[in-house]
Amino acid sequence: MNGLRVPTLPEPGEEESAALIALACIDGIGPATLLDCHRSEGAPAALEALRRDRLGGVRPLAERVVGGSVRATMVRTARALDPEDLLRRHRSHGRRVLVADRAGYPAVLLEDPAPPAVLFVDGDPALLDEPAVAVVGTRNTTRIGREIAAHLGHELARHGVGVTSGLALGIDGAAHDGVLEVLDRRDAADPDRGEVFPPPGRPIGVVASGLDISYPRRHATLQRRVAHRGVLVSEVPLGIRPNRWRFPARNRLIAALSAGLVVVESRLVGGSMSTVEEAAGRGLEVMAVPGHPLSPASAGTNQLIVDGATLVRDVDDIFFALGWEQPDPAVPSAREERPDGGDAGERGGAGPAPPPGLAGAVLQVLGGGPASLEELVGRVDAPMAEVASTLVRLEVDGHVVTTHGWFELGARGAAALGAR
Amino acid sequence: MFARIHSSIVLGVDGHPVSVEVHVHNGLPGLTIVGLPDASCREARDRVRAAVIASKVTWPPRRITVNLAPSLLRKAGSGLDLAIAIGVLTASGHLPGSAVEGLALVGELGLDGTVRPVPGTVPLVDALGTRTVVVAHESAADAALVARGTVRSIATLEELLAVLSGRRDWPTAPEPAAPPERPEAGREAGTPDLSEVRGQPVARRALEIAAAGGHHLLLVGPPGAGKTMLADRMPGLLPDLDRETSIEATRIRSAAGQRLTGGLLRRPPIRAPHHTTTAVALIGGGTDSLRPGEVSMAHGGLLFLDELAEFPAAVLDALRQPLEEGIIRVSRARFQVELPARVLLVAAMNPCPCGEAARPGTCSCPAGVLARYRRRLSGPLLDRFDLRLEVLRPETGELLGGDRGERTETVAARVAAAREIAARRGVRCNAELTGTELERWATPDDAGRDLLEAALRTGRLSARGLTRIRRVARTIADLDGSPAHIGTGHVAMALQLRSEPRAGGVAA
Repeated sequence: MNGLRVPTLPEPGEEESAALIALACIDGIGPATLLDCHRSEGAPAALEALRRDRLGGVRPLAERVVGGSVRATMVRTARALDPEDLLRRHRSHGRRVLVADRAGYPAVLLEDPAPPAVLFVDGDPALLDEPAVAVVGTRNTTRIGREIAAHLGHELARHGVGVTSGLALGIDGAAHDGVLEVLDRRDAADPDRGEVFPPPGRPIGVVASGLDISYPRRHATLQRRVAHRGVLVSEVPLGIRPNRWRFPARNRLIAALSAGLVVVESRLVGGSMSTVEEAAGRGLEVMAVPGHPLSPASAGTNQLIVDGATLVRDVDDIFFALGWEQPDPAVPSAREERPDGGDAGERGGAGPAPPPGLAGAVLQVLGGGPASLEELVGRVDAPMAEVASTLVRLEVDGHVVTTHGWFELGARGAAALGAR
Repeated sequence: MFARIHSSIVLGVDGHPVSVEVHVHNGLPGLTIVGLPDASCREARDRVRAAVIASKVTWPPRRITVNLAPSLLRKAGSGLDLAIAIGVLTASGHLPGSAVEGLALVGELGLDGTVRPVPGTVPLVDALGTRTVVVAHESAADAALVARGTVRSIATLEELLAVLSGRRDWPTAPEPAAPPERPEAGREAGTPDLSEVRGQPVARRALEIAAAGGHHLLLVGPPGAGKTMLADRMPGLLPDLDRETSIEATRIRSAAGQRLTGGLLRRPPIRAPHHTTTAVALIGGGTDSLRPGEVSMAHGGLLFLDELAEFPAAVLDALRQPLEEGIIRVSRARFQVELPARVLLVAAMNPCPCGEAARPGTCSCPAGVLARYRRRLSGPLLDRFDLRLEVLRPETGELLGGDRGERTETVAARVAAAREIAARRGVRCNAELTGTELERWATPDDAGRDLLEAALRTGRLSARGLTRIRRVARTIADLDGSPAHIGTGHVAMALQLRSEPRAGGVAA
């Protein structure tokens, strides 16, 4: 990406940008058709043809749009749209509209097999050409999964590498949380005391909806922060909610914008696997974080490793796999070097000492993945009441975290287990 | 030309005495019923006339007015038929007035003069005081449970007329064809035994605690985890009903129109309404007599709601008040009734629509579907569950050779002992401990208190959950044979058996 020679590109025309947005707004014109229109007859001609209902002159439309009510609806929509107003709205609030093969378009997408014809950007578009690694995974994670994702996001950003992700619940959100934490810590640094940090990596969020829509809604704040501190991109015009088919398209964009892909947790089937396919098709390094062999949440990532993906234990493995030199960290680490490391303030040393006896046995069981009280009582040789008391104490001091009656290792618990 | 006959009607689960006043005078022949009769009651006109004629008595060809007093009370049902018929015949002079003195009549008439039983015999007869009560043969046993006067039963109107005019004696009720077996204060035969549950010691323990302390229990687990199997074994653990509850439960069952096959209910009732049940069917009300709903039918016993999340939200939220107060107040424009509804609620649900969400990182439900599913249960409802337990599919090894747990009778004995301890504190079960009683009886020892404080400090436990945890800890200590003090083990167990709910955001 750094060595990429950026050819001199023509400036995008106003009419062209406006027509591209209008076409993207029409149901029935997907990213591939749009790109085809853009690269053959051009978007303004295609829009005009649609409005006149004479598709003969525009090959991509003539080939793909069949007759009937679908076509009638498309023509009606095309006539109702006001491209100039659309363009104005898509440029409001500091958002940008980038057009494929035109000046300002990210170089990393120019050579992509399926680049978006038009890309909407909120934030700094220059970040798209910085080195970035995608960190993705399942929405329904284990706690450790989220912590590893946040740790990898944190460490990549700390070493100056951007993190691409899809802003979904679970792994995606956790990875960006980790990145934002680095940025917050850098903000809080005091330059007067000599705490000057070189620029850390930034979050790159790719969404499947219009930039003004937050999906999931729970990540509205995260999405705003990503746009503010990094860059938020989408090929979907404003106001459009994500359809089912938009997510694989979004995943292709995540792969296109990254130098490598790390899957933190994934079941055997799921959205992350479509990102993996897109990444593999582009020749990206696919990496996966291993999990317990019995954990369904890691079944997909374990399979990826079997299939030849690079095993990721920590950020070093990512740098090694990508052949990048590990630069000096931009921001001193707040966390332990281990992905399951402890909280801030516990740096150095071998971590907290492992708790003895029953507590140790409980942690040992939880090291194999989340367990319920029933399972713990079955696997630890102790009376129920004692297991319960031990668990309360472990919860209170942060070794164990409970959600919906399931117990998982907390940060301290994992560190203590590691120290055994 | 005038007669007054005593009878009664049912409203909710209570009987109300009604005087049937009949006036026969000259005028255009006909029968008018006044005094707020509803449709079923007004139909009595045709039934009574046909029954009288079928009894080989001439229908008086005169103007007849029947007044049902008190006239403000709405009368529903057909139980007044018999009283109206006798009233008409007394007022018209066919029967001497002295024949019906001190008599109360409850029964529906067939067109051929048969006397039929009516739903709610127990509350109906209860309302009639010390009068001699005449009912259908089928109702005689039920009536005898609560009657303070003599109970007489007859088969037909003709027979009754013969008795009242002194032509024959009261008939004796025929013995029921197959006398119902009364399981004497014991467990019903065929009730599944707790020892059939393989493994799952925590779930078995939760059942025991719920039964002992009257704590509502929510079982969450994937399909096939044995939630229903566990719940089926719950009734066997509950002790027999006390005298007062037994009478209430019997009265409710009778008011709901069910025949009592063997005297007073001694064993706690079990109701398991399906999730398509409407709010009215669950809570009660609806018809003019404000029938008791499923919750009241389970009074003193167990209400089992399987697939809790499939119940409409409005139906579930209607449960909140009865669960808290043990009584349902159903009000309609003209009247209101109080239905007893002190139940032990046991509910089961899947953790998510695909059923697999239990273990973190296992579910494949889309986020939106999951959010909708979790929204179905309101926080306040979930908060009513003192015990919330994740149930797992037992491992294959356990199914085939897992250790058999204790038998139902062993556990039931501990439950009964714990209930006795609670009774000494002046409550039926520890779930009823409140305020000062809780301070007095359910204060943990120092180590237990430290544990609670730590749990509160770290947000593991909310102030609201504290009371419930203390009650459950009290029950666990009672079961462990430690009625005097509550230790860390008891507190911790109570904490762990009340897992954070999946919806509503109410912490333990």
